[in-house]
Parts: sequence; C-alpha cells; structure tokens
Amino acid sequence: MNMKGKIPLIEMKGIYKSFGYVEALKNLNFTIYKNESVGLVGDNGAGKSTLIKILSGLFSPTKGKILIEGKEVKLNSYSDSTNYGIETIYQDSAVVNEMDIARNIFLGRELVLALVFLNLKKMDKLSMEILNSIGIKGIGSSKRLVDELSGGQKQAVAIARAVQFKSKVLLLDEPTTSLSVKETRFVHDFIVKVKNIGISSVYVSHTISNVYDVVDRFVILRHGENVGEFIKEETSVEEISEILCSH
Amino acid sequence: MKSFWYKAFRSKEGSIIVVLIFLELFSVLFVDNYTNISNIQLLLRAIPSLGVVSLGVCILMIAGEFDLSVGSTFALGSMVGALFINQGLNIWLCFIVVLVIGAVIGAVNGFVTVKTKIPSFIATLGAMMLWRGIVLVVSDGKTIPFPLTDRFKMIFNGKVGPIASQFIWLIIFTVVFWLILNRMKFGNWIFSTGGNIRVAKAMGINTDRVKVIVFIITGMMAAFGGLFDSTRIEVVHPLQGEGLALTAIAAVVIGGTKLTGGAGTILGTFLGASIVFTIKDILMLLRAPAYLFNAFVGVVIIFAVILNQFIGRRSIS
Repeated sequence: MNMKGKIPLIEMKGIYKSFGYVEALKNLNFTIYKNESVGLVGDNGAGKSTLIKILSGLFSPTKGKILIEGKEVKLNSYSDSTNYGIETIYQDSAVVNEMDIARNIFLGRELVLALVFLNLKKMDKLSMEILNSIGIKGIGSSKRLVDELSGGQKQAVAIARAVQFKSKVLLLDEPTTSLSVKETRFVHDFIVKVKNIGISSVYVSHTISNVYDVVDRFVILRHGENVGEFIKEETSVEEISEILCSH
Repeated sequence: MKSFWYKAFRSKEGSIIVVLIFLELFSVLFVDNYTNISNIQLLLRAIPSLGVVSLGVCILMIAGEFDLSVGSTFALGSMVGALFINQGLNIWLCFIVVLVIGAVIGAVNGFVTVKTKIPSFIATLGAMMLWRGIVLVVSDGKTIPFPLTDRFKMIFNGKVGPIASQFIWLIIFTVVFWLILNRMKFGNWIFSTGGNIRVAKAMGINTDRVKVIVFIITGMMAAFGGLFDSTRIEVVHPLQGEGLALTAIAAVVIGGTKLTGGAGTILGTFLGASIVFTIKDILMLLRAPAYLFNAFVGVVIIFAVILNQFIGRRSIS
C-alpha cells in the first residue's frame, strides 16, 4: 500500500493495552493521514473500541507512543483529546437531548458576554451558519431541542460541533448502528462533506458494507492486532470480507 | 399567528399552567374566602419556605441527583442558629452560620455521592436520618425560641406594601436561579450533567464538581428555607421540616422537572411550590381533614406528569 506524499496526522506506534490478563491491543500501529477517511473494521472483540477510547483519552495505553503532527502526546482525558482536535461521536449520539442545538454545539466551549452570561445570539447565529455550511436542512432553528430531531440529524449536530471547533479528526464509533437506511445515508453524506473541508475521520464498524462507500482506506483489526491496510481503489469488499472472516 | 396561550401551553411549563388555571378557577368559584386579601397574604407568607427549598432541589434533580436531607438541613441550620442567638451571638453572624451549615451538609452529601459513587438517594437518606438525629439531640427534643431583632424581622418576615418580604425573597431567588440555569455556562453544565453525563464529560465539563456545587447550593437553600420558617413562627422545633424533601420533590415534579434528570424549569418549580400550598390552603378553607393534603398532592403530581408527557409528545411529533 503506497501512502507516499500523505502527511501523517495521528500516529499510534507499538500500542499495547491490557485489562488484567486480557490483551486488548498488541503492538498496534495505526496512522491517520491528513484529509482522509479511514474505515476501522473488525469483528467484535477485535480492539476497535479500545483503540477509539485511547484516542479519546478515556483509556491510557499500557505501552506505546501516540504522535499528533509528529509530536508525542499524552491523552489522559477526554478534554486532552478534544484540545488536540480529536472529536468522538458514538452510536447513541454525542448530544444532550434536552438541550437545544446551539447549546449542544457549544457545550463546554460556550460563548459568553460580560458577567458570565451566555452570548446566545452569537451561539445561535454561528450554529445555523455551521449547519447550513455542511448542508443540514430542515432543522429550522438552532433553538430547537435536540430531542425533537431524528437520529441522523442528532449525529449531524455532533458533526457540526466538530466542524465549529475546527477538529482535525472525527472518531465515529459505529455512528449509524441505530439509524435507518435513509438516515445512515444522511450521516454518510456529512462524513464526505467534512472530509471535503479538511477534517479526517475514522469510521469504526464491524461490517465492511457499512463503511465502504465513505472511506478512502481500510484498516483491519483482529484480536487486537492490525492485520491489514488497504486503499479502497486497490481492494474489494470481497477481499476485505475474506480477511475479516479468516482466523 | 400563534397566540400567547398556544405558546404558553406548548412551553415546558405548559402542564403546570393548565393545573394552576384549573385550581384557581375552582378556588375562586367554589371556595369561600379564597380571594380575601388576608388569605392571599397568608399564602404569600407560606409559599416561600417551601419555594426556596424547591429551587435548590430542582437544580439538583436537573443535575441528576436527589437530596432527601433538605428537611433535616432545614431544621438543623435554624436550630443551631437559634441556640447561638439565645447565647447572645449577633443575629447576622448566626444568619451566616446557618448558611454555612447548609453549605457544609450539601458539600458532604456531594462528596459522598461523587466519590463513593453510591446513589444520592441512599447517601442523602442516611444524611437525613443523621442530621435529624443530631437536631433531636441538640434540642433535647424541645422547641427553642428564635428571637429576632427588628431589622432582621423586617427583612425576613416583614412586608413591602401588602406583599410579604419572604415572597419577594422567593421572587429574587427564582430570577437568580432562572438566570443561572438559562443564561449562564453553569446552567448548561447542570443540564448536560443530568441529561447525558458521558457527553458532558466528553466536552471537558467536570461533572463531579458541578454536582458538588449544586449539592452545596441545595443545602444552602434548605438552610435558608428553614430560616424563613423559623423567622415566621419565631421558634424552632425539632421536627421542623420533616417530610419536606418529598413535598419539595413533589413541587419540583409538578413543575415539570424530570426525575431522570436533564430537564426541568425554575418557573415551573416556583409554580409547583405555589400549587402545593394552594392545595393546602383550599383544604383548610373547605375545612377538609388535614390528612387529605398528601392525597391531593399525589393526584396533582400524577395529573401534571401525564400532562407533561402529553405536551412533550405533541411537541416532538
């Protein structure tokens, strides 16, 4: 696989992660390049979620190095991870249902006026701008409660948050598992759109068909190891499925 | 154009507005003396002690936690304050002591909950019994006088025109809490902590700190409520505030706050506390047995929650 000319954004080198006697990741090397979508595929227990949690700052690796733009970093918390431009979106939505869209997008990074009061006007305006810029239609107002949105729209709000705060990488942990076919397509469209504006993404899935249309490259995990990397143009669904199913 | 009433009914406080209108219509039409100025003044003096406690309980429930010890804090703060006043300590210093007691009890509840990870329902159930026991020991089971200076009485138990000063305090607290919850960063953090703690943590919010701060505010509001009650009756008795936690939770739930956290309104809580006392008042005016009070509050809770769900479903669909 030729990645010549590609600039690494995040590099995980020789990563091990153990939980007691269980080794979830073994000497794992994984690179995310600038402006690409990677499909991280593997069966249940392959180590996909562990890898995502390490990059999200929720787990620390037992051994190994993480480099962001060539600099070694420690991701000890979720906020460390977001500070380095890594945003995670889960299958059950990374949003608070009972809050409105603008408050969700700016959660933890609220815009304030003097005397600690929220600058709601600016938050609303910027939220609508960002939603429009990635083509999220039919929401109407950013003052709507997230609870009123469809599953796909909720994921889109989480993606909008990543865009607003100029994240470098989106980690999408099975983001369409609970969505309908139509909504899955809706979310896939946004993944393509954010790539077009320069945000890389890692799309985690245990089925290849789910990610095939939206990613540029596949990384296959099995029993905590990286067992293969393929550029989409150089492989097929069948080849990857075969590797996934082999022991 | 959508009318004011349409917007009001579809708002978060929609269900409680419906309940309040029914209650007020019933009272005005069928309850003698309800509209008497003396009765209204009585209501305005009675609502604030429950109201201020409920405001604290409301934000705590939005943050996803409970405090069953508010009734004991309500009594302990005033009891210690009264003991100090009777020893000759300056009443304003005693006032500060009362609030500090509330804050300390809240902080202990908060730390126990977030550090041990036990449900706050259990942690504060234990605290409720512990502090009530201490109140009984400290007071030796006796009522203690709560002597007031004129200025203190004017501020906490006086009148501004025809309106009880305690009610004005309640309005001030309601506005402050509304601003915190709806117009400040911290309000956003409270909603997200109760609504989806994983997302809140993911966004860098220190949810443990948020919870501890909210527990402290709740404790202080409970102590403040106790102070209101004691200045009104000018004594502290050891069983003061017993059962208050459930009444406050009832007021908060009637006001549209979810037991599961993440959703609730300050205005709704204010109206919820008003409804609870209006029911008590109506029963008194109708000379109904006092024991019926809980039964009526129970019916109103169920009615308000059903309405809430109905309005919520309509909004989403």
